[in-house]
Amino acid sequence: MSDALALLFPPFLVAVCLVGIHAYFGIQVLARKVIFVDLALAQVAALGASVAFMLGHPAQNFTTYGYSLAFALLAAVLLAFTRTWGTRVPQEALIGVIYVVAAAAAILLIDRAPQGAEHLKQILTGNILTSGLGDVALIVPLYAAIGLLHWLLHRQMTGAGPLAWEFVFYATFGAVVTSSVAIAGVLLVFSFLIIPAAIGVMFASSLARQLAIGWIAGVITSAAGLAASFALDLPTGATMVCAFGGVLAVAGMFYPFWRGEPRAALRVAGAAARWGVAAVLAASALQLAAAPRADQPLIDLAEYLIPPLRSLYLSPAEQAAFADAGVHAERYRAEAEQLNDRERRTRTEGEALDEFSVARISSFLKSYGEMRKGEQFVMHEVRARARERIRWSAALGLLAFALLLAPVPWRQVWARLR
Amino acid sequence: MIRVHLAALVAACCALAFPAHAQDRIDVVTTTTDLRSLTEAVGGERVAVVSIVPAGMDAEEYQAKPQDVSRLRNARMIVRVGLDYDLWAERLLLQAGNSAIRRGGPGYVDASYGIATLEVRGMSVGPGDGHAHGNGNPHYWLDPKNAEIVTGTILEALTRLDPANARSYQANRSAFLARLQLKLAEWEAKLTSLRGMPLVAYHNSWPYFARRFRLDFVAFIEMKPGVPPSPAHLAEIIRSMRARNVKIVVREPHEPKRDVDFVAGKAGAAVVTLAASVGALPQAGDYIALFDANVAALTATAP
Ligand SMILES: [Zn+2]
Repeated sequence: MSDALALLFPPFLVAVCLVGIHAYFGIQVLARKVIFVDLALAQVAALGASVAFMLGHPAQNFTTYGYSLAFALLAAVLLAFTRTWGTRVPQEALIGVIYVVAAAAAILLIDRAPQGAEHLKQILTGNILTSGLGDVALIVPLYAAIGLLHWLLHRQMTGAGPLAWEFVFYATFGAVVTSSVAIAGVLLVFSFLIIPAAIGVMFASSLARQLAIGWIAGVITSAAGLAASFALDLPTGATMVCAFGGVLAVAGMFYPFWRGEPRAALRVAGAAARWGVAAVLAASALQLAAAPRADQPLIDLAEYLIPPLRSLYLSPAEQAAFADAGVHAERYRAEAEQLNDRERRTRTEGEALDEFSVARISSFLKSYGEMRKGEQFVMHEVRARARERIRWSAALGLLAFALLLAPVPWRQVWARLR
Repeated sequence: MIRVHLAALVAACCALAFPAHAQDRIDVVTTTTDLRSLTEAVGGERVAVVSIVPAGMDAEEYQAKPQDVSRLRNARMIVRVGLDYDLWAERLLLQAGNSAIRRGGPGYVDASYGIATLEVRGMSVGPGDGHAHGNGNPHYWLDPKNAEIVTGTILEALTRLDPANARSYQANRSAFLARLQLKLAEWEAKLTSLRGMPLVAYHNSWPYFARRFRLDFVAFIEMKPGVPPSPAHLAEIIRSMRARNVKIVVREPHEPKRDVDFVAGKAGAAVVTLAASVGALPQAGDYIALFDANVAALTATAP
């Protein structure tokens, strides 16, 4: 457990710093309705880093960072002006154009330098798991300075004043995003930016309260996401993004209750859930009736979770064949694994295997693979035939179940028919 | 450097002296730079070889360009890695519509033919293996002994396309294999100090290399191609690195430096950058230089 803590604590600190500054910028971004501005800024900064790279500067170098920042500032000028164009064409459209052009230009630049592709990827897909206290030491002074500047200028940062203040806003935001995307990656930074801010805005109206709610939600979600990624053995960034998405969904469900309309909210939620389940059931019924041999996602999932469900439609003989093939497939897999293990060990231990023995192991492994595929084919075939047999009855049953669940006002339908 | 200039000079002189050769050279396309180097070793002056994936790019994530199709259209021979390593070549071949180099055509060479594949796992993914495709680990060119088999396959195809020069191809191959034989003995001698020493790599590119030189790759940082490691996986790697006293982490130039440095730093190991492909490092200019560079880098870091 101490291992896990030692590994997860630095990224947690980094996440706290990132939530701290991004929740604030997120509230500003939501107010200005420029949701994807961070993607545009990050992409332009990456374009700057690519230019530096093409000029021969190494990645993660002061000059390279200077190039990124200079490009981000240029983009800030453009973004500040988009507000004035925004009367006819939505500002978001122009931001999107900046994003795609910067991304495409970086690809074109990098195309001539093979190592560049990886370089570009690394700028935009940081890995928060391998970030550390060194990153914290770098970003804390920067974020503190920017936070202080915004606190001093809070009267000017309304998004409605002269364009010079807009430039200051986008320039400081660009500096934040350039550093954070390199640490945590585009996806996670977007979640840090939008989701805590959205939750804050949902439940409060003053900036201070919105910030407080956003920070609390962001920090707790980051901790939960990191813990889940450790416990479930999943990539950290992606797990955290999903955790943030889940928290926003929960907040969204809670929102109507908080607004004081619990009954209406419950009714809508119930109806939506029933329609959803009914639609899934009806689609599964149609799929089973139309193509019984094809994948049946719902039935496959149910059988995966509760294997005894298969005995509902497989005859005893089929069940035996199915189980038998499963046992054999598993045995071939285990034998192949053993053989692989043995080959691995002989690379360094004892006498080296001669070419002939290696070739023999290789062909044994291939045969095991084929035999295993054969057994899996048997399992698939047994199940497909049984499903073909029950297609009509099972599909009708599922359909009836779907109709029962769907919140159709049967009484009114009946009355109208009469 | 001087040798490169000299080679260029010699090539230029040859081009001047035998202008006719430039025209009736056989156009060969290979998917990777390693196969280009091996094809050049057999074909010598009589072939013009282009590799689709440029040096230093990750061939497992290559995205084709329009030029590739036109190159394939004009080619008389294609040499590919096979074993699902360069699956994207399948679509390119289809688009090029060149019947000579279609699967089964006279100019189609799957270099994995006859190779004893390691780590075959059937079609489903085995645990802890970096390769999502279970047809066996495709990095077989990293065993110099396998170059014998690959050049043999290439020789056969060149002889089929250009029987008049079969003897010259045969002589080229024999000369190359003789040189490789000497080099192999040298590499094996140099790497004896690393025998059985535990190593960690980012991507599982090294089973053939490990088997030939009796190295012990105990773990891989990447979980699946393109999937970053989970915290539990990293913790386990760092723990086992400390327990087994792993002192070297192997990284390829295109792999994320941050993640590798992080693991090496936590476990107190050194990072060695190796080329798994010709041209991935500037000093790995051809097939033999590739091993020279890797052996030099490994021996320089070995404690
Ligand atoms: Zn690979």
